[in-house]
Amino acid sequence: MSDLAPARPGSAGATRSAPPVRTALPVRPATRPDGTAAGRGTAPAARRRPVRRAGRALLSLAAIVVSLLWLFPVYWMVSSSLLPNVLLQSTRPTFVPVDGSLDNYRAVLTGSGFPGALRMSLAVTLLTVLVVLMFAFLAALAISRFRFRGRKSFVLAVLLVQMLPAEGLFIAQYKLIGSLNLLNSVLGVTIIYVGAVVPFTVWMLRGFVAGVPIELEEAAMVDGLSRTQAFLRITFPLLAPGLVASGVYAFLQAWNEFTVALVILQSDGAKTLPIWLRSFLQASASRETDWGQVMASSTLIAVPVIIFFLVVQGRMTSGLMSGAVKG
Amino acid sequence: MTILRSAAVGAALALTLGACSSGTTSSETPAGESSAPESASITLWLAGGDTPDALREYLTTEFENENPGSTLVIEQQDWGDLVTKLTTALPDANNTPDVVELGNTQSPTFTNVGAFLDISDMYDELGGDKLLPSFVEAGAVDGANYTLPYYFGSRYMFYRADVWAEAGVSVPTTLAEFNEAVVTIAEANPRDIANFSGFFLGGQDWRNAISWIFANGGDLATKVDGQWVSTLSDPSSIEGLTQLQEIWAKASNAPADAKDQSPWLYINDTDSATNEDSSTTDTSLAAATIMAPGWAHWSIGDLEVVDDKPVRTWNDETFGTFVLPGVDGGAAPVFAGGSNIGISATSQHPELATSLMRIVFSPEYQQMLGENGLGPANSDYMSSLGDDQFATALIESASNSQLTPAAPGWAAVEGSGLLEEFFSKVSQGGDITALAAEYDEKITPLLNGVG
Amino acid sequence: MTMRTQTVRHRRRPRTPYLLITPAVAILALSMGYPLVWQLVTSTQRFGLAQQFGKAPESVGLGNYVTLFTDSYLWTVVARSIAFCLVNAGVTVLIGVLLALLMKAIGTVPRLILQVSMLLAWSMPVVAAMTVWRWLFDWNRGVVNWVLTWGGLDFIGHNWLQAPLSFFFVATTVIVWMSVPFVALSVYAGLTQVPDDVLEAAQIDGANGWQRFWGIVVPMVRPVLMIVLLLQIIWDLRVFAQIKLLQDAGSTPSETNLLGTYIFQLGTGSQDFGMASAVSVFVLVLTIALSWFYVRTLLKEDA
Repeated sequence: MSDLAPARPGSAGATRSAPPVRTALPVRPATRPDGTAAGRGTAPAARRRPVRRAGRALLSLAAIVVSLLWLFPVYWMVSSSLLPNVLLQSTRPTFVPVDGSLDNYRAVLTGSGFPGALRMSLAVTLLTVLVVLMFAFLAALAISRFRFRGRKSFVLAVLLVQMLPAEGLFIAQYKLIGSLNLLNSVLGVTIIYVGAVVPFTVWMLRGFVAGVPIELEEAAMVDGLSRTQAFLRITFPLLAPGLVASGVYAFLQAWNEFTVALVILQSDGAKTLPIWLRSFLQASASRETDWGQVMASSTLIAVPVIIFFLVVQGRMTSGLMSGAVKG
Repeated sequence: MTILRSAAVGAALALTLGACSSGTTSSETPAGESSAPESASITLWLAGGDTPDALREYLTTEFENENPGSTLVIEQQDWGDLVTKLTTALPDANNTPDVVELGNTQSPTFTNVGAFLDISDMYDELGGDKLLPSFVEAGAVDGANYTLPYYFGSRYMFYRADVWAEAGVSVPTTLAEFNEAVVTIAEANPRDIANFSGFFLGGQDWRNAISWIFANGGDLATKVDGQWVSTLSDPSSIEGLTQLQEIWAKASNAPADAKDQSPWLYINDTDSATNEDSSTTDTSLAAATIMAPGWAHWSIGDLEVVDDKPVRTWNDETFGTFVLPGVDGGAAPVFAGGSNIGISATSQHPELATSLMRIVFSPEYQQMLGENGLGPANSDYMSSLGDDQFATALIESASNSQLTPAAPGWAAVEGSGLLEEFFSKVSQGGDITALAAEYDEKITPLLNGVG
Repeated sequence: MTMRTQTVRHRRRPRTPYLLITPAVAILALSMGYPLVWQLVTSTQRFGLAQQFGKAPESVGLGNYVTLFTDSYLWTVVARSIAFCLVNAGVTVLIGVLLALLMKAIGTVPRLILQVSMLLAWSMPVVAAMTVWRWLFDWNRGVVNWVLTWGGLDFIGHNWLQAPLSFFFVATTVIVWMSVPFVALSVYAGLTQVPDDVLEAAQIDGANGWQRFWGIVVPMVRPVLMIVLLLQIIWDLRVFAQIKLLQDAGSTPSETNLLGTYIFQLGTGSQDFGMASAVSVFVLVLTIALSWFYVRTLLKEDA
């Protein structure tokens, strides 16, 4: 039921939604970290030969079919969110919500707690992303640019700590955050999230840092830049895709997590969106669940993720453009 | 540790996200304030959305009137997460809610480990023997009262009056008649529906199924020499299980892994599908009878459009209710749902919490519970439920209702999933005696709790 | 920024790397250290709800482990989990790689459609995804049965979750659906790093598609594949939410328990936190053992 990959086996979907390793954000995979466009989606071999149109068309068709398969559950969520509960209980599926309305959205938005939960979720998620990126970046720098005693143990610890199953941890996590007097606070839950996400991001960023040859920086210094300038102008932009990928990962983990939040954020004022969604799932023992509202809430929770994807995609492009160095 | 802590805090501060404002601990109060209970804030945890808003407002207002300067914060916890939250928060004096509602079957487990305050001294004041005895027992240990009933619900039968009539059977007056009637309906299948059930009973639906054990004089567990023992192998239990197996074999087409979630889906007509011969079939109707908590009637009825929205409207010509009859007539002892309420043993404000308990058990509040369809804890206010058929069925079925054993490890038994498995295997035609012995052996060690 | 540049400047000094890893080590020690120690200690105790409510826990040494290892049920669950993990990780990576190759082989428009679909599936909240999948496979009103029946097969009232094998088929479908976007997009990103001129040169030298794939593409995306496979194995071995939510919908839990749901059932379900901790520690060791080959290879490549 939970989503923090490292600590949380439950880690459901979000865990499984780790970002791509080593290169750019998936949305723009046609761009290499060195800023050059790669592939353009055409198979180079195919370009050279007489174009086998039929084969290409068949492959494109396959791609469309696969897209539909992957989209269908998403479509079903959105479609269901527009339907009243009684229709969702029908044995005959409603494939197109012709009689749909926005009533479910109206109900969940005017119901209780959406603005508060949104604010809480944004605070926790953004704090987690920022802290994770900072901590993981520093650690990645250390293990890829330095040789030091204990380095190997650190790398190993980072790898292994992700393997601890989390189903039995909730009492310890509660006691820990309780003893810091941080229950029901953004900071308390963030501490757990950061600890859970940092290992994987260190590992991922390590690859990116190692991928930037130190000679690039040194060459720039020969050209008269200070080390600071060299780092900022040469190395840092090349790390942008890695930072974005790690950021996406941390974002998804923190955004969807709910087993830790359930235990640490018990008071009404401190609920995050996944906990808010749960209250629609189990509203009452004496009323049935309104699935239309559950789906409307789910759709609302997915929207910021999609917005985030779009935002970082733009950021990354500009970062790459300004910092592009022909490798 | 100090360094680690300040590192984390420092990092967070550096990021200057003023996000912590929303994270206040409502029950947190400076130490020493417990000596001045008239100016504190206490927290009440309500389980699920069952207590209507009007009742919550009444509690808050009334509490603040009686305790000027103090406030009551009501927080709603979801049923599915309640055990996890009680496990973590109740032992924590700094963060514990002061008054807590919990499921009646969860109560024995928590009262036995000392999670609640002994309130025996106010038992008589709060209603005494007018309070539902089975619930009181679920909150008592060695004669001392820790939690008391909050409200009750009970299960009765909803049936398709039209289908029953088409099959030529009438409402039964004894359990044997019921068992026979639902088989007859299933075999007649008057509307020729695929997978039709005379009585829809999920294979893992032990909460409804145990009524047959109770009705035949059996029980799930009993206390022998101070130790709890599972009693599925008791001859009375076996008798009930045998009847159940017959129902599962001949009357119910519910999946062997179905639980008691939304059975009403199967007795509603949702829509009609056109067959090849252009006749139409009511596709959702899959059962002539279900057993469900009383509030299910809000979800049962004809599909009508009111204010442009499709809703369920109860129709007496199509639907009906009756109480599961006992072996010799009357009401069978069915499983009583509902919840208990108590004061956390670690509460910093026991006096204020006591004051809240008095309001909950006041005539006004008990009356309000009934008016909202929740069975009041105090039997003096039963009439507040009203006198329509749902209220009548609720009161009648509750009159003889029974709870799961008040064993310290009962929550562990429920959490282990053993009951679901046992009943599911019985529903699939397993050897009852062998299964009962096998699961008695598995359940008994859990009953007395770990540690 | 200042901090970072300074650390780089002083990077020849031995103190610097320790300063750099301090925040990460600190947060790990704080948020994972205490729970890990708690779990180790609790796994050697008789620890139930009474202990959580203040009763002094009684030490049983390795008693919990002895109980555990002599219980044949644990080994059933372990075998089931490993099989499930390998099948799911394998199928996920296979489909992911195939889709990545597909993305590379098609034009921009279909590729973007495919990528955006993957992304949307990826951004769907877990609870929502599981709810939708449960509906799709519902015995009475599920779309899957409806479509199969419509297609002329007798699937009216077919209960997908009841038989364990069928249950795991549904679970695999859901998990593969959830995990493939990550794998496909990662591997595709890796593929874009394979320089076209190398491939072209190989082609001129007479290498066929199959040879080019195994000789050039696979070695170049190997690091990505390794990490992706390792993560899939870790995650699929500890998979919890999907199985738990599917169990809530149907099936007999003891026949469909994997390690994650088994720990949950012991701890949260039966309040036997001592045993739950013992299983957790065991799962940690098991995961390390299973992935040791990969971890070692990764470490070697890292050196």
